[in-house]
Amino acid sequence: MMAGRHFPSGASVPRLRNLPVGAFAAPVLLLGAWQLACLTGLFPQQVLVPPSGVAKALADMAGSGELQRHVGDSLHRLLVGFAIGAVSGMIFGAALALSRLLDAALSPLFLTLWQVPVIAFVPLMVMFLGIDEPFKIAVVAIAAFFPMALATFDGIRGVPRNWFDVAKIYRLRLHQLVRRILLPATVPAVLTGLRISLTRAWVVLVAAELLAADSGIGQMMEMGRQLFQIDVVLAGVVVSGLIGFLLDRGARWVESRATRWRAA
Amino acid sequence: MSLHPQARNEHAPASISRGALTVGGLHKSFDIGGAPRKILDNINLDVRPGEFVSIVGASGCGKSTLLRLIAGLDTDYSGELRLDGERIATTSLDRGIVFQDHRLFPWMTLEQNVELALLNTGTPKARRAQIAADHIALVNLKGFEKAYPHQLSGGMAQRAAIARALVTEPKLLLLDEPLGALDALTRVHVQNELQRIWMAQRSTMVMVTHDVEEALYLGDRVIVMSPNPGRIRRIVEVDLPHPRDRRAPLLHRLKDEILAELTSGADAAESAGNLVHLPSREAR
Repeated sequence: MMAGRHFPSGASVPRLRNLPVGAFAAPVLLLGAWQLACLTGLFPQQVLVPPSGVAKALADMAGSGELQRHVGDSLHRLLVGFAIGAVSGMIFGAALALSRLLDAALSPLFLTLWQVPVIAFVPLMVMFLGIDEPFKIAVVAIAAFFPMALATFDGIRGVPRNWFDVAKIYRLRLHQLVRRILLPATVPAVLTGLRISLTRAWVVLVAAELLAADSGIGQMMEMGRQLFQIDVVLAGVVVSGLIGFLLDRGARWVESRATRWRAA
Repeated sequence: MSLHPQARNEHAPASISRGALTVGGLHKSFDIGGAPRKILDNINLDVRPGEFVSIVGASGCGKSTLLRLIAGLDTDYSGELRLDGERIATTSLDRGIVFQDHRLFPWMTLEQNVELALLNTGTPKARRAQIAADHIALVNLKGFEKAYPHQLSGGMAQRAAIARALVTEPKLLLLDEPLGALDALTRVHVQNELQRIWMAQRSTMVMVTHDVEEALYLGDRVIVMSPNPGRIRRIVEVDLPHPRDRRAPLLHRLKDEILAELTSGADAAESAGNLVHLPSREAR
């Protein structure tokens, strides 16, 4: 009767075996090609700084504490803006999913605004909010709001109707239905929404900092561009990519931890 | 239909005051494209306490609808539907149901799923775990209490669903094609389990199936339904004691009869109407 399934779950597969060597091959190859392009003089060194130059710029900025300041400022904005955007998106999505009236009244507007790139709101927001912290936090919040609202909406609407039958059979009261069935049933969709919101918010934040800011990773890159310090610009590319990657990985880890009951 | 007062089977329960289902003049229509469409037409059936009744019929004969009505999941009907004299108006912990899909909640372990059914039974919290464990043992799933549904095979999950349905000790257990999604071997195994559980539990059971052999193997009576609209075409008494032998000639003869009836022309079904043939006793 076991049908070849393992019990208790053999989740403790050695992690090393899961670590693909191939995952490192592509970045190493890219770095090699990059270094080679610099060595052959295909592009002038001032335009295409070699990886070693970027590494040096990173080390210098880390040594002076400049890098940490920019990263810290960016992450702080991300955290505050994401918290505001994700929570309000969750509430909005839940309200739309639970109320036919709100759904009918607000969905078209919501779906239209969702199609507008967040960056397109920047000029307007700069006029109202200036280029200080409120502006950047607002940009992040908007970027996080939409995917979160959509994911929550889909998560709640996606709860199988069959499960309501089971709840009815066992005479579950509303609070029991919400706590024991609706909330756990929507957790996977909401966590996926959180991950997408988080990474999207990060991308939009860096872009917004490029356009208007006095600190942060994006501003560091913009300053580098203006002073023609291409090594600083490329260092910003590397750092923002790495942070985005780590945010995604971290969120995926939380996701898989919280939904361990799913098929392995 | 006829209610048999005398306990015919040696395993008949001592107390017969529990789980008597009465279906009288039951009609059910659905609104399809603005026009009412008759799904169940004048269903009359008395199920004795502790009896196992199987319902077979082609798809679309309303057998699952009938079960949903008895469960109280759908209360829009006309006619009479009573359990121990009490009109069925909503769901009740007196009536358990097992669906074709196990409908266990994937984020709960087996024991959490079973205990969920006890939430509103008034059972003290301390007793719930023990009662759940007893029923998990009843369906032979001891040792799998902490397993999540995805870690169970199809047959195990279905037995877990049976444990959940039985844990409230319902007077009536409804089974809506409970083995329909299982492979042939698992099916036979769970049929044996179901027979054993029924003999141990003694609650009234009504099972919908499209497998005539299964219906005959488990049922004290087999209700044969015809579609468009759903009507009772025939009621077959299966006069064999439990536990049964699958090879019993009576089962095979009745199977051929019922299959012939189910596959005969639709016009025959029309003219047969709701005519009920009482069982032929010479079959013994």
